[in-house]
Amino acid sequence: MRVILESKVRSKPNLPIEAEAIIPRNFLKGTDLVVFEGNKERTLSELFWIFVEGTAVSPENIEVVLKGDTSRIKRVGEYMDTGNIVIEGDIGMHCGNFMSGGTIEILGNADSWLGREMRGGTILCRGNAGHYCATGYRGEKKGMQGGKVEVFGNAGDFCAEYLAGGEVHIHGSTGDFPGVEMRGGQLTIEGDATRPCANMKEGSCVILGTVHDMIPTFEKIDKRVLPEWKITADVYKGDVANRGKGTLMIKNPGAV
Amino acid sequence: MIVSDVVCPFCGCLCDDLELEVEGDRVVRVQNGCSLAEATFMNDTRLPTPIRRTKTGWEDISYDEAIKETADILKEADRPLLYGWSSTHGEAQSVGVHIAELIGAVIDNTSTVCHGPSILAIQEVGHPGCTLGQVKNRADVIIYWGCNPIEAHPRHMSRYTTFATGFFVPEAQRERTVIVVDTRRNDTTNIADEFLQVEPGGDYAVLSALRAIVRGKESVIPKKVAGIAKEQLIRVAGICKNAKFGAIFFGLGLTMSRGKYKNVRNAIELTDELNRHTKFVISPMRGHGNVYGSNEVFTWMTGYPFAVDFARGIAFYNPGETTAVDILRRGECDAALIVASDPGANFPRLAAAHLAKIPTVIIDPHVNATTALSRIHIPCTAAGIDAAGTAYRMDGVPIRLKKVIERGYPDDAELLKKIYDRLNGGGWDHD
Repeated sequence: MRVILESKVRSKPNLPIEAEAIIPRNFLKGTDLVVFEGNKERTLSELFWIFVEGTAVSPENIEVVLKGDTSRIKRVGEYMDTGNIVIEGDIGMHCGNFMSGGTIEILGNADSWLGREMRGGTILCRGNAGHYCATGYRGEKKGMQGGKVEVFGNAGDFCAEYLAGGEVHIHGSTGDFPGVEMRGGQLTIEGDATRPCANMKEGSCVILGTVHDMIPTFEKIDKRVLPEWKITADVYKGDVANRGKGTLMIKNPGAV
Repeated sequence: MIVSDVVCPFCGCLCDDLELEVEGDRVVRVQNGCSLAEATFMNDTRLPTPIRRTKTGWEDISYDEAIKETADILKEADRPLLYGWSSTHGEAQSVGVHIAELIGAVIDNTSTVCHGPSILAIQEVGHPGCTLGQVKNRADVIIYWGCNPIEAHPRHMSRYTTFATGFFVPEAQRERTVIVVDTRRNDTTNIADEFLQVEPGGDYAVLSALRAIVRGKESVIPKKVAGIAKEQLIRVAGICKNAKFGAIFFGLGLTMSRGKYKNVRNAIELTDELNRHTKFVISPMRGHGNVYGSNEVFTWMTGYPFAVDFARGIAFYNPGETTAVDILRRGECDAALIVASDPGANFPRLAAAHLAKIPTVIIDPHVNATTALSRIHIPCTAAGIDAAGTAYRMDGVPIRLKKVIERGYPDDAELLKKIYDRLNGGGWDHD
């Protein structure tokens, strides 16, 4: 079954919409769902043109497609456990929060907190991701714990903060502090990064581009050939300031 | 008439030993206060009556009219923002939180542009702090990091640190070592025993390096970290480890420079590390007189210290998403009520510009830059001058602000209660 949601034109287009109801499982029982626009409760049909194609008996066969201006819609795919969501344009904050299964594909850009506290499943972002991609919530000790986030463009600051499990792959560059406070998991950045893995405890990170402002408390221990990337990388252990046992592999450490 | 033991409401120090000479509704002399206190009490020029913007200028309106229009603006909004709160007393702040909950607004205070990052860091790793009295009586090593108390908190050093005689530090100036970390020389660095001149944005690296040195991992550290020689870092780490009682004070140089809350977190973790060797504490140098109070009031009422979003009826908190600057920058909010602060002068241009596009009301005793962006300005009492109330000092100690003169203005808490009444259809029921 395919559910197509096309956003209607709104008189106040900047108002955020909170739409945690948009997960495949919820459409098994119909499209009579509730979302919030600012401080007002709305039905899904007040904000979207809804088209349903085919039928489904289980949620894993449901695909939800979002069209139109979706850049202010938050929490799409929150607590999603199965099925498919495709977003044809940009998506707002907190897409895929706490997701445990299924796939979200974003053809445009994603705003901040993409895949926050994710447990499983896959997020593919064809454009850029905002700040705090694949991280946790304020003050929380663990960020993303499982699943995979793949961003084909760049990611903003604090990407994979508190990463505790799963895989984060950024094809482009990241901003400041990627992998800060990492506890586990695997972070790969194909482009450049600034101050990576500060205060990391465990986990591993590979950076293929240039690293700017390397944190001074990483201990260089080795050189290693990474066959999957066909490079020889410097291997650092750290963060020493933190009794950390994380691994940071860098092709080009840049100027200190 | 002489009024003694007056509390100055200007900065987070809340000095409570001022002596004022009062003539009628004017303060004519300020004793014991710094130049900021003197200006606060003596250059207190108020807006006489509520004003409303017209096509060509401003017109005077009555308080009732101003309250009615403000309530109407807030009632119609889909995403109202209530911002400010840090220069008024806790009594007004609590009414603000009730309004936010009633209408599903976002309520935020000035922490969002000052020590919000400190709070984020404290939420991650805790706060090893103490009252200023302890620092005064015990601390023999003082670190000022990214702040300039001589200009911003002029009596901090004479009342609590460098020049203050303490019970266990009777000869303060000789016994206390002062370390200052800043990007440039200023009045405070001039009296430092040790001045670490860090490259802009290099605080995080320096803090990490100090942590590693305190842990005995100095072999890892390169010769220079963010412009500071390794030898100096080792020397400073030694001073800290050998202290009887150390106190770190930090300002916006740490919270609002590159890295923000991660800088503060690193400073807290350095304090943590030093506590394996001696006693060390860390505290933010809060700016507005009662900004700590707004964090306290918000926290006990909503569970969160700033940036609280009531849009869904329950409190949600996520700085970066629910903070005033971000909501304005994204053009989300469609009405704003500003109380006891001046975002027009302190917010990024894009955020301030949005305030001018939407109906904005300001409740503040003085005309300020936000007035120029507002539709209505309602004058009120100034807490600590012509209104009494509770404020919190930068170390979390509540202090009762005194009413020293009467100038005939309504208290902002009363104005806000009237707005609440209108929104609620009558009946303030929270006392």
